[in-house]
Amino acid sequence: MVTMNFYNLLASDEGGIASAIKAKLNAWSDPKYFVTATVVLLILALITYRRWTKPRNAALLGLFFLAFYVWSATDRNFIKIIAKPDNVPITIMLVATAVVTWLAFRQAAINDERMERGEPLIESGADDKVLVWPDLVYTELICLILCSVVLVVWAILLKAPLEPAANPTNIPNPSKAPWYFLGLQELLVYFDPWIAGVLLPLLIIQGLVVLPYIDKNPRGNGYYSFKERKFVISVFMFGWVIMWIVLIVLGTFLRGPNWNIFGPYEIWDPHRLAALLNVNVSDIFWVVLPSWLDMSWWKPGLPTESFMGIPAYLIRESPGWILLGFYFAVLPGLLAVTFFKKIYKDIGFIRYAIFWSLMSWMFLVPIKMVLRWGFNLKYFLAQTEWFFNV
Amino acid sequence: MATKQLVTKVWIAPGCIVCDACETTAPDVFEVQHENNTCIIRPAALDTEFCKPRSEAIVQSAEECPVDVIKFDTISVEVPDDQAGAPAAASTGDAASAAAGAGKAAPAKAAAKVAAPPKPKVVDPAIQALLAATTVRGGNVVIDGGLKHAPASVKHLAKLPADQLPPDARHQKVLEKSKAAKPADEPTRRNVMVAAGWGFMAAIGGGSTLAFARFMSPNVLEVPDPKVPCGPLSKYLAMAPGDVNEDFKPEKPSGFWIIREEDRIVAVSIICTHLGCIPSWLPNDRKFKCPCHGSGFKANGVNFEGPAPRPLERFKIYADGDKVIETARRSFWRWVRTTSRRGMIPRRILRFESGIELRVSSRGFAMRLSRICRD
Repeated sequence: MVTMNFYNLLASDEGGIASAIKAKLNAWSDPKYFVTATVVLLILALITYRRWTKPRNAALLGLFFLAFYVWSATDRNFIKIIAKPDNVPITIMLVATAVVTWLAFRQAAINDERMERGEPLIESGADDKVLVWPDLVYTELICLILCSVVLVVWAILLKAPLEPAANPTNIPNPSKAPWYFLGLQELLVYFDPWIAGVLLPLLIIQGLVVLPYIDKNPRGNGYYSFKERKFVISVFMFGWVIMWIVLIVLGTFLRGPNWNIFGPYEIWDPHRLAALLNVNVSDIFWVVLPSWLDMSWWKPGLPTESFMGIPAYLIRESPGWILLGFYFAVLPGLLAVTFFKKIYKDIGFIRYAIFWSLMSWMFLVPIKMVLRWGFNLKYFLAQTEWFFNV
Repeated sequence: MATKQLVTKVWIAPGCIVCDACETTAPDVFEVQHENNTCIIRPAALDTEFCKPRSEAIVQSAEECPVDVIKFDTISVEVPDDQAGAPAAASTGDAASAAAGAGKAAPAKAAAKVAAPPKPKVVDPAIQALLAATTVRGGNVVIDGGLKHAPASVKHLAKLPADQLPPDARHQKVLEKSKAAKPADEPTRRNVMVAAGWGFMAAIGGGSTLAFARFMSPNVLEVPDPKVPCGPLSKYLAMAPGDVNEDFKPEKPSGFWIIREEDRIVAVSIICTHLGCIPSWLPNDRKFKCPCHGSGFKANGVNFEGPAPRPLERFKIYADGDKVIETARRSFWRWVRTTSRRGMIPRRILRFESGIELRVSSRGFAMRLSRICRD
């Protein structure tokens, strides 16, 4: 009986605490909760970075996560996702992300404490020079052999066969990109292809390239520290963990048939009903708002007549233009004289303009996502006539 | 007591044009090496005590240097009035203030110079203008911007053959060199590289601008009218309103659905208007749903969820007797092919030989020309 109960607790799909937990997690995996929760977790982790990075605490967290992951793997839907040869690197990515984040923050925590006590940093006086021959070359040789062995074994064990020729009547549902592109594929749900597929990836690369030219602060060069670079590191962690890792996890575990959201332990049912009705800002302004206000002089309906040479579609999309104009042009200026006064003074106009245009695009993504999930907002600007939808 | 300037150190700044002027004036200090195309300070003259007695000659050669590259340091030394003009064996080097100066920094020259007055300079305004127009860069005399914008006198001088130039030897030398020097607008290796660099940038910028303009502009494709027979009309009239016939989805090279609506039938492309995936018809939801990014279309093809910006494209459809004919297949195929090759954007306007345009209305419900086939 005991074993039976234990089994129930562990892997049962019918009844028991396990299924209750799974049901809860499934319910919470609606992206508006899932992403909000990860953001909150990230903020908590950044605030308490000295506590959770202590080796004992970190080991406990890691063990808890691994136990949870292994327990999840007993679920038939979850194992189906992670055992797919394409998705095996996801598990590696999760572990690797956790380890490197811990490593960096652990050293930052140690250094920050040492700085407070006026002690030398861990990097100071470190003489980590090694000889190229034999030390480096031997290390490289061993790494080379190990990597080759791992890759060969991996390639033998997990098949990656060619699939049959494309057939319009038999399309994989869901159609997923390789795991490392699932973050980008997720962006495509919210933006036009030319933004999600061209502009945003370019901006990511350009942003990383211009980083050293925007951020002239020499603090943190050559040594780990979080205390001295709180703002920059937090922004980077947001861009990396939330906008990249979490979106990959979202795309891998939570996107199912018809690109609907499914819980990680939910059966991927392609016939599940999912009612959505997305509206544009222009619809809200011209249709929803007037019918809600119910005024005699403002009837609901999209403008269809051009006015003084301005095409109807520009009038129709003017709320979106104004909104985006405010977000991209006015807001940075307002921030420059209020919250980011000091940064603006430090880095000057051009650096600030580049910095904030990158930040604007980065934050437009989560803003748009939250509005889509929470309010079914489709586009701020639905200028289909120009193929310009934001 | 009078003060006297003594030269403690002399050197040649970059830009020497290797004329013989300085060696003529101070042969034991300067040595012009024509074979090396350079001019050096003789080793002996590197010594302070060697220079001091030769101060006058050094200062004079600095003044006479046509390109003002001879530089020197001086110290002020107090000498009794009766000894002024005589070479002083000064030993006050430490206390002296070293003043770096070009030729003009020798105020005591006139006093020091008693016996031999300086040679009068040839002051030809044309030569002065030429000298003003020339600069020395990298050891070459260069007339910036070439002779094109130089004063007329300079142009005139530059055209003269060497033997007709004014007789002053040193300036003649300058002129010969300036005639030999390359004007800045002649191609040098650096100019060519800079031009190539800018050209490359311009090509990239222009190319991407063109590509962007092409990407943003409406696409028009001239195509012949294709026709696909779809069987008897009665087959579609027998469908319940709102039903979707998927028989032509696998139609090569691009398929379509035939949808029975209340009072008409329409043919709708199977290509999602977002990024070109193929949606599935979900009979329970009564909608088309794309498996790639979740775009959803109502049974009449209107986009209502997910990122798709436009409704599914409609094809022209008509009845010929009892036969239903769908007509945009091949054109649509070319459209799709172009889409996949260009990668980004679907062709938005199809213009048929018959002059009919198939076009996406602004946010409309259908292609403008979907021919209604009534019972």
